[in-house]
Amino acid sequence: MISAADFRDVPRLYRLRVRGWLAKVGITLPLMLLTLVVIIPFVWMILMSFRTTAEILNDPFGLPETLRFENYVKLIFDPQIGFGRYFWNSIVVSGGALLVTLILSTLGGYGFGRSRYDFKFRGWVFGILLFALMLPPQIFYIPQFTMMSRFGLLNTYWALILIYAATALPVSTYLMATYFSQLPSELEDAAQIDGCSHLQTFFKVMLPLARPAIMTVTLMNFMSFWNELLLAITLVTDPGMRTIQAAMMMFVGEHGSNYAIAAASLVLSMLPTLILYLAMSDKFIEGLTAGAVKG
Amino acid sequence: MFFRKPAQQQQRNRWIPIAIFIGPVMVYYLAFMIYPFFATIYYSFNTITPVQGALTTSFVGLKNYISLFNDKVFLLSVKNTLIWSVVGPALEMTTALTLAFLIYFKVPLHRFYRTAWFTPLLVSGVIVGLVFRWIFNNEWGLLNASLRAVGLEGWALNWLGRRDTPLMVVIFVHYWATFGYSMVLLLAGLSAIPEELLDAAKVDGASLLQTVMRIMIPMLWPTFITVLILSFIGKMRAFHVVWALTGGGPMHFTETVATYVQKRAFGWSTLDLGYPSAMAVLWFGVVMLGVGLINRWLKHRVEY
Repeated sequence: MISAADFRDVPRLYRLRVRGWLAKVGITLPLMLLTLVVIIPFVWMILMSFRTTAEILNDPFGLPETLRFENYVKLIFDPQIGFGRYFWNSIVVSGGALLVTLILSTLGGYGFGRSRYDFKFRGWVFGILLFALMLPPQIFYIPQFTMMSRFGLLNTYWALILIYAATALPVSTYLMATYFSQLPSELEDAAQIDGCSHLQTFFKVMLPLARPAIMTVTLMNFMSFWNELLLAITLVTDPGMRTIQAAMMMFVGEHGSNYAIAAASLVLSMLPTLILYLAMSDKFIEGLTAGAVKG
Repeated sequence: MFFRKPAQQQQRNRWIPIAIFIGPVMVYYLAFMIYPFFATIYYSFNTITPVQGALTTSFVGLKNYISLFNDKVFLLSVKNTLIWSVVGPALEMTTALTLAFLIYFKVPLHRFYRTAWFTPLLVSGVIVGLVFRWIFNNEWGLLNASLRAVGLEGWALNWLGRRDTPLMVVIFVHYWATFGYSMVLLLAGLSAIPEELLDAAKVDGASLLQTVMRIMIPMLWPTFITVLILSFIGKMRAFHVVWALTGGGPMHFTETVATYVQKRAFGWSTLDLGYPSAMAVLWFGVVMLGVGLINRWLKHRVEY
């Protein structure tokens, strides 16, 4: 498994010696150009969100004449757009799926990770779980649709919660199992001697120790649930039940000419991830790269 | 130990906690992932259409698979996805590797670069797709407006409305969104190389280039292959960015297998879930084959 945890302590002994201003410029210029290519789309999107569509069409790279928040105000308070509703839908779906994922993956990770619960075909069973790790969603989602349709769950929060959680299980359980397998067994033994049942030992002793792994699994999955589109447009077609990503696709269709509002909705939709990232960027990078499992 | 239980009962008790911990996740996973996997394969041999609200299934054998090879749009989408799955990872791995080395060796401003290049990962495929749809807009997009502003009117193409450029734009935009990820993974792989090894090389008088070529790249190789496979699978399954950027258009010039499956299953009113299932199954085979080939051809190349 690739771990990003240790890449803050890059060894210094082979520092690339960049001597002289010419060499410095020579290496900095292309890298800066690349960085500009990465950053400019964001800057432009944010600028767009503070302008009006007419301004954008007249002069694509002008600055906003005044800092106007009217696009945001309209998005949030105009009942005809109902952006708050989509935001809420995404929160419920992501939060619900996260809860299901966490319950199942911590339990499962503990069972798979601790050698005391070893059994004969554990490797095989774990292998089945990891089978879906990186498969294209296309191989699952048509029957997932018919299943939800049969249960009468299409166009409800449940459809997305249930299926999102399922897609997240392989990697989440894998990460939890890896983490649990590294914990020492003394505490566990002590708890059992004190008369704790297996479940009590799990909830009272081991689960609190796994907080870093839970954090990683949470960040990683929250991001992918929040940003998901394929299932979001398949399992939910009722406009009022749409998640934020599906709603933004709709904005471009319906409010096609109003690019300013659409840009503001993009900016608003990335706020949750952005806030999480700014609050704990290292943990976040770790969470996003933890998904890269050898396979 | 004094009150040892009969062996059989002990044996049974051993299974109870295992069932409690592993049971829920496996049952859930079998129901919502493994069953759909096999159901897709089953669907692919059937025509499945809704009749008065209920889905009716009728067995058609290999008909769906045979029709695939006569479906011009499908063949085009296969061609597009295959081009992408070769060009995309090649582009991504070469730049990501170079950049990872530069950051590893701490070029000036390396911290800033790392943070900046990572940001595209935070945003959804929808945002990436839509923003670039506007950037490449013919009349008022940032790119064409800039080209016109510096007097390069001839270069200001209708990027997303032609026959030749849209697929290039899709490849570029997805690359823009994902190269930082590959870079960070490779950087993590580089950082995991034990320092003693590099120390020893330095003591032995190895130059920087020798250390990179003889020690670091071979040590990094397994990670490199993993990242390459991830990148390859990423292109083979990419949906969000394409859907938001071009929707597969114009005239299917950027259609990928993922977008075409979606259209045939849920978008167009062709009302048959069997046919897109056959596409999905075929594509699953192609992805597995690709991963297998990468593993086979590259895994042991550098090890000695």
